[in-house]
Amino acid sequence: MAEAQSHHRQKAARLIAGLLMLGAALLAIAMLSLATGARAIPLETVWAALTAYDPNSTEHRIIWDLRLPRTIVGLLVGAALGLSGAVLQGATRNPLADPSILGINAGAALAVVLGVAVLGMTQLSLYVWLAFIGSGVTMLVVYSVASLGREGATPVKLALAGAAITAVLQSIINGILLTSPRTLDEVRFWQVGSLSGRDIDIVLQVAPFLAIGMVLALGSARMLDGLSMGDDVARALGQRIGLSRGLAGLAAVILAGGATAAAGPIAFVGLTVPHVARAITGPGYRWILPYSMLMAPILLLGADVIGRVIAPPGEVQVGIVTAFIGAPFFIALVRRRKLAAL
Amino acid sequence: MLRSAAIALALLATSALPAFAQWSYVGGNGETVMLDAVPTRIIASQDAAAGLIPLGIRPVAIYADSAVADAKALQGLDLTGIEIIGQAWGEVDIEKAAALEPDLIVAEFWPLETTWSGGADVVNALSPLAPITGPEQGASILTLIEDYEELAASLGADLAAPSIAADKAAFETALADFKAATAAKPDLTALAVWAGEDALYVAATGGASELMDFASWGLKLIDPEVADDRGYWETLSWENADKYQPDLILVDNRSAQTMETALAQPTWTLMKAAEAGQVTDWPAYWLRNYGAYASELAKLTTAINAADENLAP
Amino acid sequence: MTHVIDAARIAAVRQAAATRRQVVVAGLVAALCVAFALAMYLGDYPVAVPGIIQSLFSPFTGLVDRGVDFIVLQVRLPRAVLAVLSGASFALAGIIFQTLLRNPLASPDIIGIAHGASAAAVFVIIVLGWSGLAVSFGAFAGAVLTALAIYLLAWRNGVTAFRVVLIGIGMAAMLAAVISYLFTRARLNEVQEAMAWLVGSLNASRPGDSIVLGGAMLVLVPLMVALLRGLDAMELGDDTAKSLGARVEFTRLGLMLVAVGFAAFATAAVGPVGFVAFVSGPLARTLLNGAGRGFLQAALVGALVMLVSDLIAQHLLPAVQLPVGVVTGACGAVFLLWLLMASGRSGRVN
Repeated sequence: MAEAQSHHRQKAARLIAGLLMLGAALLAIAMLSLATGARAIPLETVWAALTAYDPNSTEHRIIWDLRLPRTIVGLLVGAALGLSGAVLQGATRNPLADPSILGINAGAALAVVLGVAVLGMTQLSLYVWLAFIGSGVTMLVVYSVASLGREGATPVKLALAGAAITAVLQSIINGILLTSPRTLDEVRFWQVGSLSGRDIDIVLQVAPFLAIGMVLALGSARMLDGLSMGDDVARALGQRIGLSRGLAGLAAVILAGGATAAAGPIAFVGLTVPHVARAITGPGYRWILPYSMLMAPILLLGADVIGRVIAPPGEVQVGIVTAFIGAPFFIALVRRRKLAAL
Repeated sequence: MLRSAAIALALLATSALPAFAQWSYVGGNGETVMLDAVPTRIIASQDAAAGLIPLGIRPVAIYADSAVADAKALQGLDLTGIEIIGQAWGEVDIEKAAALEPDLIVAEFWPLETTWSGGADVVNALSPLAPITGPEQGASILTLIEDYEELAASLGADLAAPSIAADKAAFETALADFKAATAAKPDLTALAVWAGEDALYVAATGGASELMDFASWGLKLIDPEVADDRGYWETLSWENADKYQPDLILVDNRSAQTMETALAQPTWTLMKAAEAGQVTDWPAYWLRNYGAYASELAKLTTAINAADENLAP
Repeated sequence: MTHVIDAARIAAVRQAAATRRQVVVAGLVAALCVAFALAMYLGDYPVAVPGIIQSLFSPFTGLVDRGVDFIVLQVRLPRAVLAVLSGASFALAGIIFQTLLRNPLASPDIIGIAHGASAAAVFVIIVLGWSGLAVSFGAFAGAVLTALAIYLLAWRNGVTAFRVVLIGIGMAAMLAAVISYLFTRARLNEVQEAMAWLVGSLNASRPGDSIVLGGAMLVLVPLMVALLRGLDAMELGDDTAKSLGARVEFTRLGLMLVAVGFAAFATAAVGPVGFVAFVSGPLARTLLNGAGRGFLQAALVGALVMLVSDLIAQHLLPAVQLPVGVVTGACGAVFLLWLLMASGRSGRVN
């Protein structure tokens, strides 16, 4: 008994140390993100820009106007994607649950396409609201459709409903894009998923939502642990299944919707990171959630830094780099471990 | 003897008549189209329609690769009574086209792609209905418009009609003004760009016919060092937006959004010309007639006259 | 005594299942005939019914009306035939994967094979600047190579369904990123061309497309039927099948190759028309309600979805001709949603 307890404590200590290390790594990558870019700026200039801003210096302007908002967006979006992926996978008990599979990306994309094509919107700060509304409404529709019928929203029905709704939305999107090159021209740059061109306005608009979503998500750890034992066990333990799923789903929608609104659809971060986190922490959402929340922005910012330097004088968007880092990693993980157990 | 020779000649002439086409035109692909009569029922691509309608040749139908309402080239033209048989890339209503019984299909030849406007799928669908021809896109919009004049004249257009002559005169005036403006500011340099959220795209002069026109009329366009997309654009990260420092910036005006996007970028004003507001429209790729060319040239001339030519070192 | 009753009951159940299969096939064939007749009749070029029939027989009778023959024989007939063939091919590709991997999400348009074809085609259009037949070849090669890569990556002392699906989804995400990247690196008219191909269209149907696809199906369908016999043993589960001595891996690989063949040939002909592969299998099985695996029925459903979608795409909006792929998604999804809603009553999905 005592031995088991000390083993437990040891594990907790190890996991806390891991969290601290991840925090340090995150800080380091954030600094790296401020220091690298298509334009070479010496480190001391970066430091001077942060401590003694000179509005007449081109370099200082680039740090403040481009790299700082971009880094903050990366941190927020990364944390939101990692958390929402973990929560979705837990709530649906589906290892493949990902915002894109549940239709959230398509909903956001349709809203943006309609905004550009019908309302003539052009500014990213306006896209934010559209994408947010689009993803929220879509997620609600997907969930309600999947909940119809006797057995409720089972994982398979959720995935099917998500795929079906995505297909409907994609049809409408394609119809609009094919007849309106003007919209295609705007949307092709949004659809790829990018952290660049996001100014501080966008951060301010999205941040409150992401904060609420993060609190909700981190608070849902116990419910997710209950759900992971299966609906019957959870029910026997006195958990209200529908309520738990609903709250967790709400957190996931707010997070994924906010992230997509800020950066465009970024696939793969929400899908991969929770699996990696689970591989380190073992089952138990009390640990999986914070680990996902710290690891995802490391992946996202790291990918963004790589994207900024590999194709000078242009850049490769972060959504592409995450796919190219995330997918092989994910494939390796699938080959090495058994991921089915959720 | 003489009499029989005359009869033989007359016979020859009559028998040879059908072989002498009543109408022929050498298309941009180098092939000659010959028809027994001057074609009257014409299906035109959207760019060809923009070239022909102001010259008095009205096609029975237009096929476009996007919503006609969005097509910059067709703006301001009277399209009443003309069927629209395609509004998406690669899609054309072949049955409507067949029901219109066209004599000729007019499009522009794209030398790089070696196909006609609309792409191979549309051309393959339409070509069983009637021969396809038209001018070639080349190094000058002015030459292209002159090709349309020649084609329209062969199709029976009266190029001396007052409205057509007025358009041409307006263009001549605008051109003279433009040349005078560039000559008056020999140090003025210009840069043609497309602005996206992700990057600033700098156009190569050789990739756009109207830019080549402007250059030949005295405007000093800065050419990008590395045009990565098959010689059309150089992609600049917004961090490097000040790589080139022109005195005047021309922004692609196919969509009004491009200008808004540019203005919204914090580093747009790293270019001194942007900071000073020396920014104007670039009528990118869509000019097809004297009327539109005249008003776009006038806008440019105004911007050149107002610009400080010694802004950039 | 009880044995006799059981045997009688089993016979009755079998009889009922067989009847249901026949009813479903008959119903689908009837619906397909109606849709085909409509596809031959509807159009902006007015042709009366006798004219259509006369034109259809003109190669034999020699009675020729150039205008009508062009519309009937060169426009409507190739388009309808290609819709039927490609719809059936997509459906068969989908149901083979869904059956083998025992997951309704495992159709080729979700596990990356369609993405492989698409990425290759977009590369050919945008980077190489080619069009036409080269794009079809690119798509075909892309589909086959991606399928091969997924299979090899999923191989580890054999392949499990779960690994194939997960690795397929990983490949799909990576290939989708390639497409997005190429989209941001191209000129707008190239993006338009690529986009039109990605949606999938029957507009450029030539009789030759149907002949190539039909020829491929003539080879693939018998292969599929032969391999399906092996599948009967496998459906009992891998362990049982092994103990029965069935060559599980051989059958699985063979069937996957056949499915990739269906998907690749259909995609090369009409582009990666979405959702037909995904939706046909589950729909056919719902119609059958447990009375069989539903391969034939799925093929009929696929052909029907494709043909009806194209009719809607051509005639719904008077001013705009839409490519068929814009509608298949919506059309298939409406079916699927209805099915999800109905599943509360009838029991299970898939």
